[in-house]
Order: sequence, then C-alpha cells, then structure tokens
Amino acid sequence: MQASSVEISKVNKFYGPFHALKDVDLSIPPGKVTCLIGPSGSGKSTLLRCINFLEEYDSGEVRIDGKLMGYDAPGRKMSGKKLRQMRRGVGMVFQQFNLWPHMTALQNVAEGLIRVRGLPKSEAEARATDALRKVGLADKTGNHPARLSGGQQQRVAIARAIAMEPQLMLFDEPTSALDPELVGEVLNVMKTLASEGMTMVVVTHEMGFAAHVADQVAFMEKGELVAVDSPQGIFHAPKDERIWNFLRTYRERNAF
Amino acid sequence: MDLVSQYGPALLRGFGITVICWILGTIFGMALGLVIALIQRYAPRPVRWLIQIYIEVIRGTPFLVQLFVLYYGGPLIGLRLDALPAGLLGLTIYGSPYFAEIFRSGFRAVAHGQIEAARAIGMTEPTIIRRILLPLGLVSALPALVNFSIILTKETVILSIITVPELMYQVSRMSAETFRYVEANLVLALFFWALVETISRLGRRLEARITQHLIERT
Amino acid sequence: MFSIPVFLESFQPLMWAAQYTLLISVLGILLGLVIGTLICAARLSGSRLLRGFGGLWVSFLRGVPLLVQLLVFYYALPVIGLDVAPTAAAVICVGVCASAYISEIWRGAIAALPRGQAEAARAIGMSPRDTWIRIILPQAFSMSLPALVNELILLVKASSLVSVVGILEITRASQAQAATTFRPLEVYIAAACIYLAINLCLAALGRYLEHRTAV
Repeated sequence: MQASSVEISKVNKFYGPFHALKDVDLSIPPGKVTCLIGPSGSGKSTLLRCINFLEEYDSGEVRIDGKLMGYDAPGRKMSGKKLRQMRRGVGMVFQQFNLWPHMTALQNVAEGLIRVRGLPKSEAEARATDALRKVGLADKTGNHPARLSGGQQQRVAIARAIAMEPQLMLFDEPTSALDPELVGEVLNVMKTLASEGMTMVVVTHEMGFAAHVADQVAFMEKGELVAVDSPQGIFHAPKDERIWNFLRTYRERNAF
Repeated sequence: MDLVSQYGPALLRGFGITVICWILGTIFGMALGLVIALIQRYAPRPVRWLIQIYIEVIRGTPFLVQLFVLYYGGPLIGLRLDALPAGLLGLTIYGSPYFAEIFRSGFRAVAHGQIEAARAIGMTEPTIIRRILLPLGLVSALPALVNFSIILTKETVILSIITVPELMYQVSRMSAETFRYVEANLVLALFFWALVETISRLGRRLEARITQHLIERT
Repeated sequence: MFSIPVFLESFQPLMWAAQYTLLISVLGILLGLVIGTLICAARLSGSRLLRGFGGLWVSFLRGVPLLVQLLVFYYALPVIGLDVAPTAAAVICVGVCASAYISEIWRGAIAALPRGQAEAARAIGMSPRDTWIRIILPQAFSMSLPALVNELILLVKASSLVSVVGILEITRASQAQAATTFRPLEVYIAAACIYLAINLCLAALGRYLEHRTAV
C-alpha cells in the first residue's frame, strides 16, 4: 500500500471575525497514525477538514505528498476537477457516518467506485464486497443503513472510504455518535488499518485509542496547535499546563 | 379619475368587508379549531370519531361547494342566511379543521416531560391545560397559525361567488360595467400580493418577538 | 326534506363531470411539476437574476388568490391574441399556480437533507452533477412524495374554481343540475361526496407512500 504524507504549514481559518485556526503547523508522516485531541471547539475537526478541503483554509499551505491542496497558487482556488482528483486519494469517515440512506451497504460502497473511479458495476460490486468483508460485514451487504446498528453503519462508512484505495484516511470523531458498547468494533477496524501501514489522521475523544495506537498525538486548544509529541510524551509527561488541565478534566469525568 | 369617484366608495366598502371576513373568519375558525383540538385530546373515543369524520369531510371538499351547500342548500332545511353571515359561517367551518390540526401538533410539540413535571407537583388537569399546554402549544403553533390565516385572506375572494359584497365582488361588478376586465383583475392581484406579503412579514416579526425568550442562547 | 332519490340521481351527471375535475388536476400537477422543478433550479442556481425571478414567481403566485389569477389569465388571453381552449387555459393556470408550491416542496426537501450527505459524496471525489443525480435528488424526491400527493388533493379542490369561467367539471355540473332540479341541497351534497371520495383515495395513497419511504 502506498501511504501519503501531509505537511501543514501556517494554516489559518476564519469564520467571519472568529479565528478558528491560528498558524497551525503539523507534519504527518507516511504510514503512521496521528491523533488530534483537545477540548470541543478547539479546531481539531476544522483542521482535519482542511486536509481534504471540505473546509477552505484562508492562508498557509496543506500539502499532500508535496502537492498543494485546494489552491493552484496562494489565493487561486484549483478547479473542481483537479480538486476531485486529489480527493480520490484521501478517504474520510464522519462522526455522523453520512451513509446514503436510499442505498444498501453494498451500493454505498460501490457508488464511488462506479461514479468516480469509473469501474464497471460488476467489478465495483466485487471490490465493495471485499471492502465490506474487511470490516466484518460480509453478511450485511444487502441491508439499508436504517437496518444497521450505529457501529455497523460506521464500519460501512469505513469500507466506503477504503474501497477507493486511498493513501490517506481522515477520521472525524468516528466513535462519538456511537453507544459505548459499539465503540470497540469500530476502533478494532481502525487498528487493523493502522497495522497495515495506512496514513491515518484521527480526531478523537478516545484517549485509550490515542495512547495505544497513535504514533504521534497533537493537542489543540482555541485554534492553536499546542504540542505534538509521542503518546508517551503527551499523556505521561505533558509539557504544557493546558494539556495537563485537559487530561485532568478528562480523567475526572471518566472516573467512577 | 371618473372611475375613482364612481367606484371608489364601493371598492372601499368591499375592502372593509374583505378585512372583516378575514379577521372574523380567523377568530371564529381558530376558536372552533381550538375546541376541536381539545375535544380530540380529552373526549371519549366515539366523540373523537365523530369529530374525525367532520374533519375529513371539511378537508376533503372544496370551500366553494361547502358554500353552495350552506347558502343555496340551507334554506331547504330551514337555514336561511344572508350572503355575508353565510360566508362568515362558511369560513369558520372551512378553517376549523385546519386550525384544529395546527393546535393539535402544537400541543404535541409540548414535551411530555413538561406535562409530567406539572403533574408531579400536583397541578390539576385544567390548570395544566391553562398554564402549561396552551401557552407552550400556542407558541409552537404560531408560525402555522399565521400561515393559515394568510391562506384564509386569499379564500375570502371565493365569497364573491355567493354574492358577499367583498372586494372581489365589487371589482367584478366594476369590470363588468367598464369592460376593463384585465386591468381590474390585475390590480386586484397586485393588491392581494402586497397584502399577503405585508401580513406574512408582520407575522414573522410577531413570531420573533414572542419566541425570543424561548430560544436557547448558545 | 332531504330527498334521497334526488340525491342519488344527481350522481350520474356529476360522476361524468368528475373526469374533467381529474383531468384538470392531474394535468395541472404534471405541468406544475415541470415548471416547479425549473423554478426550484432557478432559486438554487448561482445566478442572482434567476434567483430573483424564481423568488418573485413563487411569492406572486402564492400571494394572489387562485380565483383572481384565473380571471386575469382568462381575460388576458384574448387581449394578447391567444386563442386557447378554455379547458387548456384552466390546466395552464392551475399548473402555473401549483408550480410555486411544488418548487417550495422541492426546496424544503433539499434543504432538509443533512449537509453530510453531499459532503460524503464530495469527500470521495464525486462530481457535483453525480452528487445531485445520485445522492440529493433521489432522496429529496422520495421525501417529497407525500407532500406532492397532498398538493394534488389541493388541486382537486382548487379545480372547483374553474367553474367560474364556465368550464365543465363537478362544481359546474352541479350548478346546472341544481338549476334544473331546484334541489341544490341534495345536488351539492352529492358533489361534496364525489370530491370527498376522490380525496380520501388520494390521502390513502399519500399515507401509503409515506410509510413506504419511511425506511
């Protein structure tokens, strides 16, 4: 599997007067898992969505394998066609799954292969079946999303992304909308992906996942990237008081 | 200029009657609708069925045919009404099931928990209706109420067909005498357009005013 | 008092006229669908001019009573030199009026789709055209079906107004019948029954579609 790297430098994003991302620099090495953590509203999801340009950053650069994302030159947006070309290599998994409810699990996964990759229907369906098998849902191909549990829906969404054979996967709080008992099955699929050497960027509140699976952890607060370090460094020897406070609140909330 | 002095007073009178029909039709229709909605919520099942049949019949038939039954058919069973009262009664009956439905979904929008909270502190059922269900239900029904009362404005022109001397009736008489059919009706159209736009704008302002303290600030 | 035989006898001419009520309503809604879709597209387009035009179209047709629209249209046709059959004129008028409401039904359904639906399509690199055709429109359409059936019910009732310009349908036929029998009560109640029967069938269809689409 080819794995992409991402270079984010001096990225800024404004919503009107609100400064959502402040000069963010982050280097995402190929084949590694990077977790973005921090309080809600800190800009983690916004940063993630800038990587595939669902969110348009205002200044700075996001480069995937050296290629500038979203712009041809500073201030000049790239054409829709070129943007779609670049997005093909980037898979994304959403908090709310965003499966298409009028299609079966198989159709959800095959749709992109047919419409975007231009594969014939039979081949697309064969590959979609493979992808669904990989996330453990070979027996659910004919189900509509409404007939699947939250965890199953999210696994279909992951299958939809990996079927496109991306070199980079973005996860936007993939387990936040799930009941606690369904979180594990999704995290397991993600762990498998990580072990195969996929470049992954994961916005998450699952500190356990970040601690055990991530190669590096980035902590954000109020639009700023406060620190990037190994999980060991972030969770056991935080160098910044803000990280320490965040982790203390997290532990208190989860203590019983 | 001649036209204005000749038809001005009649048009003005017609406009007055249109406004009266609209306001009274809305008030009476709303009152009847509220009664129906409360009956549907609290009355025993057979009564609710009868009410349901009434609702289906009124909603399933054209307003014009309802007016014909009332105005031309009424005398055969001893219901002799002049055009205007017949028209008002017709508007009231026609609007009532729609208003009832609006109230009903307004009531449904009142969270069950809020009713339970009232019961839990020992409020009686009538007090719950008066203090919790009605105020909250009315607020959530408000946009739909304004909307339907605007629809009623437009329905008043149908009263001209049973010779209620409202605005459209006067315009038709005027255009029949002057042969200015197109101009007269076009002006009437523009007039209604302006009227409806104005009312809906006022309605939106009213909604914003009334609901502002209920909207959660983030 | 209420004469049952007169009541029953009224049905025959009225049933015959009912086909025109159905014809006008069904053709009206088909025309309304075509124009309404175009108007909705105009309102969602990037062009300011088109959006403004669509907005005016909807606001005017929803602000003016159908009866007034009908008379303007009916009297204006000969003035601008168009010779259209009265029934065709009625269909056009009803369809144009319906287009404003149908455009709003579309717009509401499209707006009700979660943003993530289109986002997921963009994220895998789907083109805007495919996103509309494969993701947004199919969902918007099945969401709108019950509302469209409801619009058809409204048209069946609204079509009673074309009796005013002399077009034969249930209401016009019942006026004629009432004039010959001098029994308006029975005749108009019979007319009401036919409208009710049509609309109850349509309402049942609407409920069926609603259950079917609620996955």
